[in-house]
Amino acid sequence: MTAPSESPFAAILAAARRRWEGLTAGDRPWIRVGTGLAGEAAGGFEVVAAVKAALEQQQVAANVSEVGTLGLCFAEPLLDVQVPNGPRVFYGQVTPELTERIVRQHVAGGDPLAEHAVGYLGEPGQAPAGISNLQEHPMMALQQRIALRNAGNIDPSDLYQYIANGGYSALNKALTEMSPEDTLGEVRTSGLRGRGGAAFPAGIKWGFLAGNPDPNKYILCNCEEGDPGAFNDRGILESDPATVVEGITIAGYACNANRGYIFIRHGHNQPIDRTRAVIRQAYDLGLLGQNILGTDFSFDVEVALTGDSYVSGEETALMEAIEGKRSMPRYRPPFPAQVGVFGKPSNINNVKTLAYVPEIVARGGQWFAGIGTQPDPDNRINGSSGTAILCLSGDITYTGLIEVPLGMTLRQVLFDMAGGVPNGKSMKLLQTGGPLGGVLSASDANLDLVLDFDVFRAAGAILGSGGIIVADEDTCVVDLTRNLIAFCQYESCGKCFPCRMGMSHLLEVLERISNLEGTGEDLALMRNIGENMQAGSLCGHGQLGFNPVSSALRYFGHEFDAHILEKRHTGDCPDQMFSPRLTRR
Amino acid sequence: MPDDITISIDGVEIKTQPGKMVLEAAIDAGVYVPYLCYHSGMKPYAACRMCVVVAENERGRVPGFPAACTLAATDGMTVWSETPDVIELRRSVMQMLIAEHPNGCLTCHRVDICGPSDVCLRHVSVNDRCITCPKNERCEFKDTVRYLGMELESPMSYVYRDIPLEVSDPFYDRDYNLCITCGRCVRACEEMRGDNAICFTERSGKALVGTSFGTSLLESGCEFCGACIDVCPVGALTEREGKWEKPARVERTICTHCPVGCQMNLEINEQGRVIRTVPELNSPANRGQACYKGKFGLGHLTSGQRLRRPMIRRNGRLENATWDEALDLVAERLRAHQAGEGFGLITAPDSTNEELYLAQKFARIGMNTNNVDHSGNTQPALTGALEDVLGYPGATNSIWDLEKAGCILVFNTNLTESHNVVGVPVKRAAGNGTPLIVIDTREVELTRYADLWLRPVPGTELLLLGAVLKQVLQEDLIDAEWLAEHADSYDTLVYELERLSDDAVAATGVPLDDIARAARMYGEADTGAIVYGLDNLSASISRECVVALADLALLTRNVDRPAGGIFPMRQGANGQGAIDVGCLPDRLPGGAPTFDDAHRAHVEEAWAARLPASTGMNAASMLEAAGGAITSMLLVGDSPNYSNGLLVSDVAVFERLEFLAVADTFLSPVAQVADVVLPRATFAEKDGTFTNLERRVQRVRPAITVRNNDAMPEGWIFAELASRLDVAGLDYDEPARVMDEIASIAPNYRGISYQRLAQETALIMQTGMESPRPTQLLYTTREERGIQWPCPTPASPSSPVLYANGFPNGRAEPGAPRFRAIPAPTETDLPATLAPGRVLLQSDREITVEPGELNRIVRDERVHINPADAASWGISDDAPVAVVTAGNRTTGIARLDPTVPPGVVSITALFGQLAVELQASEDLNPMARVPGLHLEACRVELAR
Repeated sequence: MTAPSESPFAAILAAARRRWEGLTAGDRPWIRVGTGLAGEAAGGFEVVAAVKAALEQQQVAANVSEVGTLGLCFAEPLLDVQVPNGPRVFYGQVTPELTERIVRQHVAGGDPLAEHAVGYLGEPGQAPAGISNLQEHPMMALQQRIALRNAGNIDPSDLYQYIANGGYSALNKALTEMSPEDTLGEVRTSGLRGRGGAAFPAGIKWGFLAGNPDPNKYILCNCEEGDPGAFNDRGILESDPATVVEGITIAGYACNANRGYIFIRHGHNQPIDRTRAVIRQAYDLGLLGQNILGTDFSFDVEVALTGDSYVSGEETALMEAIEGKRSMPRYRPPFPAQVGVFGKPSNINNVKTLAYVPEIVARGGQWFAGIGTQPDPDNRINGSSGTAILCLSGDITYTGLIEVPLGMTLRQVLFDMAGGVPNGKSMKLLQTGGPLGGVLSASDANLDLVLDFDVFRAAGAILGSGGIIVADEDTCVVDLTRNLIAFCQYESCGKCFPCRMGMSHLLEVLERISNLEGTGEDLALMRNIGENMQAGSLCGHGQLGFNPVSSALRYFGHEFDAHILEKRHTGDCPDQMFSPRLTRR
Repeated sequence: MPDDITISIDGVEIKTQPGKMVLEAAIDAGVYVPYLCYHSGMKPYAACRMCVVVAENERGRVPGFPAACTLAATDGMTVWSETPDVIELRRSVMQMLIAEHPNGCLTCHRVDICGPSDVCLRHVSVNDRCITCPKNERCEFKDTVRYLGMELESPMSYVYRDIPLEVSDPFYDRDYNLCITCGRCVRACEEMRGDNAICFTERSGKALVGTSFGTSLLESGCEFCGACIDVCPVGALTEREGKWEKPARVERTICTHCPVGCQMNLEINEQGRVIRTVPELNSPANRGQACYKGKFGLGHLTSGQRLRRPMIRRNGRLENATWDEALDLVAERLRAHQAGEGFGLITAPDSTNEELYLAQKFARIGMNTNNVDHSGNTQPALTGALEDVLGYPGATNSIWDLEKAGCILVFNTNLTESHNVVGVPVKRAAGNGTPLIVIDTREVELTRYADLWLRPVPGTELLLLGAVLKQVLQEDLIDAEWLAEHADSYDTLVYELERLSDDAVAATGVPLDDIARAARMYGEADTGAIVYGLDNLSASISRECVVALADLALLTRNVDRPAGGIFPMRQGANGQGAIDVGCLPDRLPGGAPTFDDAHRAHVEEAWAARLPASTGMNAASMLEAAGGAITSMLLVGDSPNYSNGLLVSDVAVFERLEFLAVADTFLSPVAQVADVVLPRATFAEKDGTFTNLERRVQRVRPAITVRNNDAMPEGWIFAELASRLDVAGLDYDEPARVMDEIASIAPNYRGISYQRLAQETALIMQTGMESPRPTQLLYTTREERGIQWPCPTPASPSSPVLYANGFPNGRAEPGAPRFRAIPAPTETDLPATLAPGRVLLQSDREITVEPGELNRIVRDERVHINPADAASWGISDDAPVAVVTAGNRTTGIARLDPTVPPGVVSITALFGQLAVELQASEDLNPMARVPGLHLEACRVELAR
């Protein structure tokens, strides 16, 4: 069937499809085990081992894949079995013992264990007896999965599986049908805003780089995801790194850049290994390197690692780390678009931002712009297109990684999808956008907030990284604040004086208040430290570092008063939630 | 420089240039904005937030409180540095800072009148008192606290860190309890020096500076230059010597440990003792940098063991005498030689130009001989051959031009130890990606930085240079058009190169590919610089090696442009001046040979005296003839060359003389055998000029006076002797008149006078008496640029690029060395050559540091041997071996290493070890005698 005019990509696609068919409609069942962060933590790799042992022992032939996360963290380890041409039947909280039964009864016998299944995914006519459609689970029903479209479905280390599911058609389209300007225009049209926290329009930001005539330009992808309660960047890279690799390549094409770095936190082994695996395959298939897909465009991508430091996620600190230096922020200007990594013009994007790019190019910017909220200039709302990728954790019924269209309300997400607070307790507060985002009381007004960058900003919160930690009525806000500041303090790089010392002093005061030893002046002292930190710090860490305290005081000032004036606690003060604290010398 | 833009700071209008940051502009203009992490000469760092300001430009108010150090000045910008908001912000940060720095006295109103033994009514503990801090009274941090008017009461809690002091490294004491983590030291080490020996440690509230993994400085790659100490705003980093001493005054001088010509500020205490040295920031040669020698090796200037009185040998013993007695005796003994026979004068390479001039004039007209030399003249080929090709015996460019070079080639010099500050721009350039080629058989510090390290078999250096030249010609990397106009034919060179076969080049042991790469790196660069020495080169090829290097620079047209050039690394602080003023047996002032009748006649006329025409004996020949043709000598200064083998290896040679007079600062081994000893003033007591290795004539003024000491400069001694010998013409009112006479004779100095030198200075604006300042900024009250010769008229500008206006002889004369190898001298039982190396850091090797009073490195040396040699000597990898030389035996672990040339055995030591030895040395002036890295015949045997 190979025609002489066949493009290089068509051949790759055909091979990918053949392999995919071999897995889903071949001669043996396909078992996929969730081994994302939550899956790993819940014992996913033990389950993989158990599956292999059971197959071996029972002499059953099946394909086994370690996939990323479907996002249903509460159900991990999640295992699914797909018999050829059948539906995927998912089992939740799988143990090695259960694995053995699944292999015997379902894989070998073709008879699903309905009592252990959490649902199935497949054609309506394929519904196995007694098993509900997973798509109808509240956590799945309202999702619109763009960046997460492949998460949990494909082996993240196998580039062919990505291609078979539509991957690299966008790059192929861009390289063969579109000019770099067209590609950039499509991203502009989409209204895509940066998902790293600042929500700056990606198209405009790329335009800065595209307009720079320097022959050496870099696109950086930031996966230094350090916020407690945020695991969506990591979730994408461990579930579908190829979408990011394709996204960064398209960005490189749009900006006339020649090199990309995907910057991952040291120790995040699954994202690192899987990203490296697909990069290697992309080089092998001619999707990276010199003359990609036979065109004039050349682009290199490499995974760069940092040490275990939160501030490495700050864009200039990240560039220091890529250069092999201690990751401490640089001063600006010059901005990275002029002087970035290795002194060359650079452009930094969050993982999520780049993960959208292939779909935006494949389906068109208009399609993406149609999702989400529309601009409302009267209320200083610029419009937030696309989806929000949220990580739900804390005191919530269904924890997980979900992708919902922007424009939904927090209430819809937290109650309709995630099932609200368990055990009949009430929801006290939310912690959004990482520790620097501060806390948001679970008031009706706040729960009715629409997921929109500007709406959140106006409400004094950050949608930012997309992490939402829910705290129930038992939570002591002073203690939570202390924990948040302990994190901020531990993660200060120690460069600029206000943050280096201010965080320590804030923590000391909070510890004092927490131990019911606070004095009347302490709140004023914290305000003084905090406001000067805000005004004087070099980077966002110090500038936003007072947010946990200021937001807690705004919504829960009475709890501080109770600690200081009445010397009483206001909730069950749990042990420290976050990283160890670092005191002063 | 044109002042292009105007900004106003608190209503004061200042002029500055676009691109400058507001803080930099303010400091330049003498306007104070508080700062702690910024330091002049370093990039902004934006950490301390002391320099926050409110600013408004043409687009309105700059958001927030920008730091002045990173706020680019734009025309018409208005800056407010003293608004209540700004002051509040600074105080808030300072409040936290004094909550982590011992602060008992910082905010106390009594601090200025409180003495160390006063009882403190506030019960401030010893650790927390300023008065017990080594930096008291010179603490920039304390000054800043007081400038900001901080309150005694603070709501912040203070805890003493209680970190153990680091006091076991050579020269340095480190007390991190006092550190405010401004990062100046780390940046000085990384940015200014290119060393990265220190770094930040920990993070957040615990962030401090230190070494990686907390090692000693011996292991961390420290070169003990003291740059970190010089910039420290608190007492965290201090010199151990004189740690608690307070300077009563500060005087500028020029260090004479090497010919770089570093301007140094001497801190002098009430008793007149030199307690510390701080390199001058606005000095063209060293730009605020020093090295281990200059920073920690000037204490001898005011040592109590200096010679105080003249001495005369009576009954076999040296006894004190008066100047008259001593000089009378010397004059009496010299009178017998005034006809020109039997006398020799060897003066010191650290004499001033004026004294060197007087020395040769004294010898020539007083003693009627050309037997005059300076003891640093051990390598006449170093610049002699350069002069043959290009026309002048000196470096073509300025030291800091190296930083801008497109490629740097370093040949046979251990630059970072012998001429440390020249190594600084080389390291910085390499750090910025400038290709660096090092040619040396030894592993030296710069080989760690080199993109290409060529390691020839000893004795084949000339072949190697020939091979590089040949490649440059073959690939047509020369500027033929320019050469046609500016140089004589190089056909003979081409002929010699054609005779150089690849087979012959193979003897170098250097792969042909590497040679080709070196040729391309150097030849294809926009500009290329060559820095060379003659370390370990056989005398029979050293001249031709220099010719080859000069040819290389000439053919690629790297001799008449900025950022290129060729730099001979001469020995002796004023070796350049000695050549320029004719303090040589074969040259007259002005550089012409003694036998040049026209020039001699010119000098004779100027001096109104007859001069001997025949070439005199040089230092080595005089010493060889001691007791024979030379029976009486006058020696000035102590020279390591009297014992290191470069001139003689044993002072016993002086005992063969009938009469020896020595003028010296200490009772050196040579002085101990003298008949008359004259106490000699040091450079720091002199008035005169030095000419550094970039041809820069710099004025030096008396910086110290030594009490109860009769020492005199040798210029005075020559004048006194002349008058006793009835020789006219050595009697000058002041050194300025000597320079005038030099200028009248030496064409390159014709426009130089003390008056002209005074014009080449500029006052440095100070930010007010009351404002806190870093030490280096405090001391830099004036810039002294000096003049780089040639300076043919009083109106001529300084000449940073020597041949910018063409060659003195009209055309350069490419030389044609006969490219050949000289077998390294070995003996039957010592068949190999030991190449000792020394580097700052060997990151691949574990070492143990034995703590104690002074840290000490304990480790097995690694003996690197070419695998073929190892096979023939029966030595396997990792075998314990001993390397035996004529006088020494070193044990270590054998390491088979194909990069070591055949016949060479390489052992690389750590500089830290040397630093420990220098610190512990009993020598009165150990830095004058830093052991070099000399190749030696050796054998390797299995150690049992």
